[in-house]
Amino acid sequence: MSITQAGAAVSLETDDGGSAATGAIITRYRKGRTSHARRRARMAGLLFAAPGLLIYGVVVLWPLVQSLQYSFYEWDGITAAVWVGFDNYLSFFTDPVLRSTLGNVLVLIVFFAVLPIALGLLSAALITAGKRPGMAIYRWIFFLPQVLTSVVIALLFKRMYAPEGPINEALRAVGLDALTKNWLGDFTWALPAVGLIGTWVTFGFCMVLFIAGASSIAPELYEAARMDGAGPVREFFAVTLPGLRGQIAVALTLTITAALRAFDLIWITTRGGPGTSTLTPAVALYKAAFVNPDVGQAAAIGVVMAILCLVIAVVITRVSEKE
Amino acid sequence: MSLRSEKLWNYVILTVMALIVVWPVGTFIAAALSPDRAGRPSADLQWGNFVTAWTNAEFSRSMTVSLTITVVVVLVGTVLALLGGYAFGVLGVVGDRVLFPVILVGMMISLEAIIVPLYYQFRTLGLTDTLLGVILIHIGMGVPFGVFWMRAAFRALPRGIFESAEMDGAGPMRMLWSIAVPNLMPAVYTFILLSFMWTWNDYFLSLVFLHGDNQTATVALGVFQGKFVTQINLMAAGGLIVAAPVLILYVIFQRKFISGMLAGAIKE
Repeated sequence: MSITQAGAAVSLETDDGGSAATGAIITRYRKGRTSHARRRARMAGLLFAAPGLLIYGVVVLWPLVQSLQYSFYEWDGITAAVWVGFDNYLSFFTDPVLRSTLGNVLVLIVFFAVLPIALGLLSAALITAGKRPGMAIYRWIFFLPQVLTSVVIALLFKRMYAPEGPINEALRAVGLDALTKNWLGDFTWALPAVGLIGTWVTFGFCMVLFIAGASSIAPELYEAARMDGAGPVREFFAVTLPGLRGQIAVALTLTITAALRAFDLIWITTRGGPGTSTLTPAVALYKAAFVNPDVGQAAAIGVVMAILCLVIAVVITRVSEKE
Repeated sequence: MSLRSEKLWNYVILTVMALIVVWPVGTFIAAALSPDRAGRPSADLQWGNFVTAWTNAEFSRSMTVSLTITVVVVLVGTVLALLGGYAFGVLGVVGDRVLFPVILVGMMISLEAIIVPLYYQFRTLGLTDTLLGVILIHIGMGVPFGVFWMRAAFRALPRGIFESAEMDGAGPMRMLWSIAVPNLMPAVYTFILLSFMWTWNDYFLSLVFLHGDNQTATVALGVFQGKFVTQINLMAAGGLIVAAPVLILYVIFQRKFISGMLAGAIKE
């Protein structure tokens, strides 16, 4: 907006600036008036934006600064806080329980990011291939988990995974009784079980993102691939996948940060247990902040999470743009 | 592979995936209607489970809390988004080279990064366990997306309509409410849907801030299922009650939901 306006002003000046002195004066007068009007508009703009900026500053920016401050103290929320320097950050990487959250996040990334993106690509490719009837229904169904409340999703799957739940009953029905177990109470299986909930929720979102991206791939590329005798699989790897690089980067950023931030699903299904087998940084933060208060530690976890999210976003964006 | 078998496989794979998505939801709905406490599906549909769950969990109170929070957040949030989007998209803002990036950063800041000081500061101010506290946080956290979303909508309007309105002597307020906003209603509706869903579905913030009588429906549902672990049918009925407002909106406005969520994602 400002660039095009400045450009118009410049061209106006060169047009009649050389012809007559009066023209130059008029132009200068006009320019002065418009820049004066623009300054007034910008002051009004500040006034209009002020209420939102103010609340945002008080509720988001200021606490962000305070989080940093808190993270350097040891504080139980009641007695006086003690300065401990970087101790809270160090313990995030040395305390075995806190460190285990990072390992759990790595497993969750497979279920929250890798699997949903793979399934999202598959379903998007199938839905966009040809204009076949009924595809809108699949899209509607796959996206449905996105609008369900996390508490309800957690309850859905608590029931699915229960010892007498539908999954175990299905296993018994086909004679696989040996495989039945209390999925969420099992040290080995709890984390993948919770992870699969993330897959179930997220893949439809990835799919819709990829469908939108695929619609901007030039149809000539598909025609060319078909002419070269490529089947649906080769076509996917040669045309669709490269064409979706930007959308995949967005999906990766969102899903990896979602894995890192997982709270609602975990808290309602397992509370981080059994043991610490499904503990995530956000659950550890909640416990440190509100269950057994170690407020400085909680703040440090929050800061580390924020930095990790930022780094993940920047790295993925850079990599996807460079190639 | 022939085109015909390709098409067949297409439908087979998609249908299997759809069944996997629908399975948990389907068994949940069947459980909600079941006369059996363990929630085994039955042909004898008990619609009364919804009434029993509603009264046992005192959902009328928590649903009112959720509704109050959501309506206030959506209303105030939409006004702030319109004002901010208009300012950054049309009028320009003094210092916007610094202010706009600062707003964009806000879309990356997650609740975890600020929840600790928010809670302990709000506690000293007496704002914990009040709806006002939670509403303020929802509104503040919604400003970045709101400004970003509405700014894009304002910039998509032809500049000519503002210029001719200015010639006719319309002030910035008038231009906003009588010229821009009527042309922006589609973007506003999508914004309302998204912020309704995000606020209604919130769990973490209300878990931390609201207790007892002030619990939101999502938190109350979590408590309810803890108490009624043995009555799966009532628990499922309660879950459907809490999910219903957003589900109904999704059924009606699915296109706006999907495109809105995408635009919300691409912001980053």
